[in-house]
Amino acid sequence: MSAVKHAVIAAAGFGSRLGRGYPKCMVEFRGKTLLERQLELLVDVPNVRLVVGFREKEVVKLARSVRPDVLIVRNPAYASTTTLTSYGLGARYLQKPTLFMDADILFEPPSLARFIAACKNAPLVGYTTARTHDAVYVDVRDDKVHSFSRNSQSEHEWANIAFLPPAYCESGSGNVFERFTDDLPLPAHFIDSFEVDRPSDLALAEAQYCGQGTDGLPHSDCNSLAA
Amino acid sequence: MNTAVAFDLDGTITCEEILPLIAAELGLEREMRVLTELTLSGAIAFEDSFRLRCAALRSVSINKVRSIVDSVQLSPAIVEFIQQNSERCFVVTGNLDVWVAPILKRLGCGSFTSVARHENGQLLGLTSVLTKSDAIDSLRDQFERIVAVGDSVNDLPMFEAADVRVAFGGVHDPADGLYDVADFVTYEENSLCRLLNTL
Repeated sequence: MSAVKHAVIAAAGFGSRLGRGYPKCMVEFRGKTLLERQLELLVDVPNVRLVVGFREKEVVKLARSVRPDVLIVRNPAYASTTTLTSYGLGARYLQKPTLFMDADILFEPPSLARFIAACKNAPLVGYTTARTHDAVYVDVRDDKVHSFSRNSQSEHEWANIAFLPPAYCESGSGNVFERFTDDLPLPAHFIDSFEVDRPSDLALAEAQYCGQGTDGLPHSDCNSLAA
Repeated sequence: MNTAVAFDLDGTITCEEILPLIAAELGLEREMRVLTELTLSGAIAFEDSFRLRCAALRSVSINKVRSIVDSVQLSPAIVEFIQQNSERCFVVTGNLDVWVAPILKRLGCGSFTSVARHENGQLLGLTSVLTKSDAIDSLRDQFERIVAVGDSVNDLPMFEAADVRVAFGGVHDPADGLYDVADFVTYEENSLCRLLNTL
């Protein structure tokens, strides 16, 4: 049984940069949507909440097909709010630390399992190898994130996954990483993941996921994402 | 926080709709189906529809209806939650007090229902048809927060008056209008109870 009891997946946004007119979490990577992949990876987390907005009924239908007991949290203001708002809504009324993640991320399965195993104390912020077009770069030293920046490039970027106190995202404004600013430095953990914002990201994911692992461990199977 | 949970009955606590079940037992499926379609399409108001249903079923003895109602399957997880939280759980149903009495007895919680006039075990008519928002309003003095759980259009007034709105799709998908104003949507009884246990 996982130590993580609650997970919130934010899937409310437009995904407009992908230019496909449907939510990013419904993008397929190697024949399976990003959302299906995430829900399957969270099979051991008893309480999974999915925050929906844009084209929500299609997202809900897809989620239920994988996870019938998913709790749907609605963010009707999805067009004018950020993921921070969705996270705040998603974890409302929860009392225990919660795993928060964006629905548009491809996680390398063993790496996500290691991240979840590392979720003992909140907060814990996930970072990954910098490679996406819209990266929010992080300065990581001694297993802590010291800064977030869109401009000052570094070898790592914010992975859009974090283990946080449940009400953490109910305060603050702007993007999730901006909410962290006042609390830096924050404990951090590497995760092998890939955010899909643009068509070029999907192509990058295809190309790079068969490369060498970046957390010191070789990928045991470059097709594990396609499983 | 002092929280009450108001549950719709038909299709929320029960695993099947009660009125169609009664109709089926009495060979009145077609009449009830027409009324249901007219109500869901908005052609007639819920209250008028309910009055017509009661008129159609008026000739049947109350005990006969009760015995049918008593056989209705209930959601085990929701029943357990209500029984464990009976002081703060309420059934809010437009259905008739005399018909749903067996279920209310099993649940052992408070309730708001439509009220029947009856004599010698026969239904005579309706004293009142419940407006579900009135039930929520009357709980305001006792509770700081009120959670509403329902599945159909007649739960809208309850949703409008409540603080937390949970659309439940255990039997069928929640009505579109209800879904659109819900804070949470769940399609599975254990998931619903997990949420309610955090409130």
